[in-house]
Amino acid sequence: MHHVIIGNGVAGIEAAIALRRRHEDARITLVSEESEHFFSRTALMYILAGQLTHRDTEPYERDLYARMGFTRVRARAIGVDPAARSVRLAGDLAPLSYDRLLIASGSRPRPAPWPGGDLPGIGTFVTHQDLAWLERELHGGPGRGGAAPAADAHLSASTDDSPYRQRPVARTLRGSPPQNPMVIGGGLIGIEVIETMLAAGLKPRFVIREEFFWPMAIDAAESAWIQERLREHGVDVLTATQIERFEGDGAVERAVLDSGQTVPCDLCVVAIGVMPNTDWLADSGIERDPGGGIVVGPDLRSSAPGVYAAGDCASVTWFNGSRRPEQLWYTSRDQGRVAAAAMSGDDVAYKRGHWYNSAKLIDIEYTTAGLVDFGYDDLWSWFHEERGAVRSTTRIVCRPGEGDQARVVGFNMLGRRWDHTVLIRWIAERRSLSWVLDHLSEARFDTELVPPLRIPPEARRAPDAAAR
Amino acid sequence: MYLQGQNGLMATWREGFRSRALSAWIIAALMVGFYIDLYWFDHFQPLAEAVGLRNKWYLYGALYCLFMVGGAVYHLRRHGNSRYNQARIATNVGVQVLLAFLLPFVMPLFGGKEFYFSYFWPLKYDLLLPDTIWQLPLYLAIYGLVGSLLLAPVMAFFFGKRWYCSWVCGCGGLANTYGDPWRHLTSTSTRAWRFEQVAIHVVLGLVVFMTGVMGIKALIGHDHPGFVVFADHTKSFYGFLVGSVLSGVVGTGLYPLLGPRVWCRNFCPMAALLGLVQKLGRFRIAVKDDMCISCGNCSAYCEMGIDVRSYAQSNQSFTRAACVGCGMCAHVCPRGVLRLENRFDAQGDKDKQHIVVLDF
Repeated sequence: MHHVIIGNGVAGIEAAIALRRRHEDARITLVSEESEHFFSRTALMYILAGQLTHRDTEPYERDLYARMGFTRVRARAIGVDPAARSVRLAGDLAPLSYDRLLIASGSRPRPAPWPGGDLPGIGTFVTHQDLAWLERELHGGPGRGGAAPAADAHLSASTDDSPYRQRPVARTLRGSPPQNPMVIGGGLIGIEVIETMLAAGLKPRFVIREEFFWPMAIDAAESAWIQERLREHGVDVLTATQIERFEGDGAVERAVLDSGQTVPCDLCVVAIGVMPNTDWLADSGIERDPGGGIVVGPDLRSSAPGVYAAGDCASVTWFNGSRRPEQLWYTSRDQGRVAAAAMSGDDVAYKRGHWYNSAKLIDIEYTTAGLVDFGYDDLWSWFHEERGAVRSTTRIVCRPGEGDQARVVGFNMLGRRWDHTVLIRWIAERRSLSWVLDHLSEARFDTELVPPLRIPPEARRAPDAAAR
Repeated sequence: MYLQGQNGLMATWREGFRSRALSAWIIAALMVGFYIDLYWFDHFQPLAEAVGLRNKWYLYGALYCLFMVGGAVYHLRRHGNSRYNQARIATNVGVQVLLAFLLPFVMPLFGGKEFYFSYFWPLKYDLLLPDTIWQLPLYLAIYGLVGSLLLAPVMAFFFGKRWYCSWVCGCGGLANTYGDPWRHLTSTSTRAWRFEQVAIHVVLGLVVFMTGVMGIKALIGHDHPGFVVFADHTKSFYGFLVGSVLSGVVGTGLYPLLGPRVWCRNFCPMAALLGLVQKLGRFRIAVKDDMCISCGNCSAYCEMGIDVRSYAQSNQSFTRAACVGCGMCAHVCPRGVLRLENRFDAQGDKDKQHIVVLDF
């Protein structure tokens, strides 16, 4: 039995490990263009900042492939022929035939859609190759921890439209470091790049299309709070602002905004989202959703026999019945494991529990759990802001419960650490707001000696009907 | 500056002295040279007398405090937005300056004995030797015995060995202050772990053996002059190898190349002993389920070379004998997955529910 896995990310590698546990002698081949070793993509910003080395970001030791007997192919997969059960590879490589195929090719960054968006000095920050580019723009090269191993090994088996190509560096063309960096896109990757630019001693401009930062996850009050912190750090935050075009002679020099204003810009990181990395499947006949995600059933099987998908490229059914990819680290890991079980013939189903996530926005920790904003119109929030030794906001999302009670359905917490497993248990137990406020300290996960959150009695009262 | 969150670690691998550049080798060479001169030559004696300190060991003590205070400022500028770090570093520096420098310096002025209240056996290996005990006033002899054999292990049982290694001990204190720039250099490799396992327990065995031999010498020395010679040689060999070479020259001198806990991790018998107690005790690092993104910050900034990530990414709360409880893994975690705790209620774990429902 030959298991072929396209992708060396968390879904692919966890599937490979799970397959090896099941099948001691099976042939397992991992095809990946991007990197020599499995790494944590969420840690890219720390390599950029000089906080970690490439090796630090690799969750397993480098002998994993040899120890597990995985064959690793550094090449771009350019197509699948489900009838012949084979994968076409770029370069002069022979097609790979498979018995079971797992597509775990992840996401690719959404490119700059504006005129001039392809000028040197404009790029994204999703891949190892993006990292190498941005290290050269920001710092003139990799840190003393070194560059990624075998960073060029895939170039002989790649294509021009690959997100893993290298690109020209404006700093080199210009001969001087950037002075007016810009980041576009009010989301997580955007704010991570802002943080690394601040650490590099630069004062970036943050261009956000929406009315406030990260409307996907936080509300206007929470966002105002983060934008205040960004401005304290010297970031020029421009909300409700769009780009008209970029201009420059050989490399980017200016950005023209939709207000008509022209601002200097010699480095621009575009962080306006990612999309499933599935263009290469266009002629395969494998069904994809309108966004490009590979449509899979509960067992992560695609429309083609013997072909499965997991991770960012798989369009799964959510708890509320909608269908789209789940672009999260731990769900990709779980999907990889479920796919491996399904590929081994088990009767399995991938089930996602309550929504939860966490992040760090510059120096503000963020935890969310349950229903915070999924389009339900009977939700309202209890909100408390703490300004002391710890600055935090606590938002508890409620729905009408039994009688006069407000039932807690979600949490959005900034500035403190919370145990999401406890928060989710309370949601599942259909706890009331007053009960949750009484017990909130049980969900604390702050480091030791941090003073606990104290909610003053006047703030404890649930808002009256008018305020709802 | 507000508590939690801020990141003082960026640029680590862009600063040469923190990433084994020439400057790091120069600092290491100077420190190694300093220790060799301190232990085996007398160049510092006149200098000590010139500044009014009785001998070179007080000069060393003064320099030690100076490096710790400077390092504490550096540490708190980077990681000071944590109450745990604030309290720990302040206590550690306070203990060192008061109990390990000022008090031993002042006590002889009032006719007392020079005594270091913050060090216990087996780190201070002669504390339990009969030769030492008989020279001590009774209350100090009792303090040394009770502190070494009762207080230290009992505290380690309830709070982990961190109460000593990261709050009180001077070696740990220097590592966490002056050594802070290099905490990411401690090796996480399997080979380093194997070396640690063997080395630290060999030293523990040596100190127990040496202490036993010295005890026997006290009992039978009168009748066996040959054994007296053997016992005294054993003690001076231990003093040379462990007390001077491993704790000073290697353990402190090589911070800029091997990380700041070379001594504590590989050679300190006190750390070995309290580590064994810690394994049985209440201290642990709790892991929040299914929130780890495997970024590697915890493992990279663990000064003891523990692969914290391997536990975090598999949802395993854990206790490792090596852990000195500096708290940095929890502090640097960008997803708030880790927390140090002294567990008095193990029931909480059983109540924990796993979120992701996997049907297999």
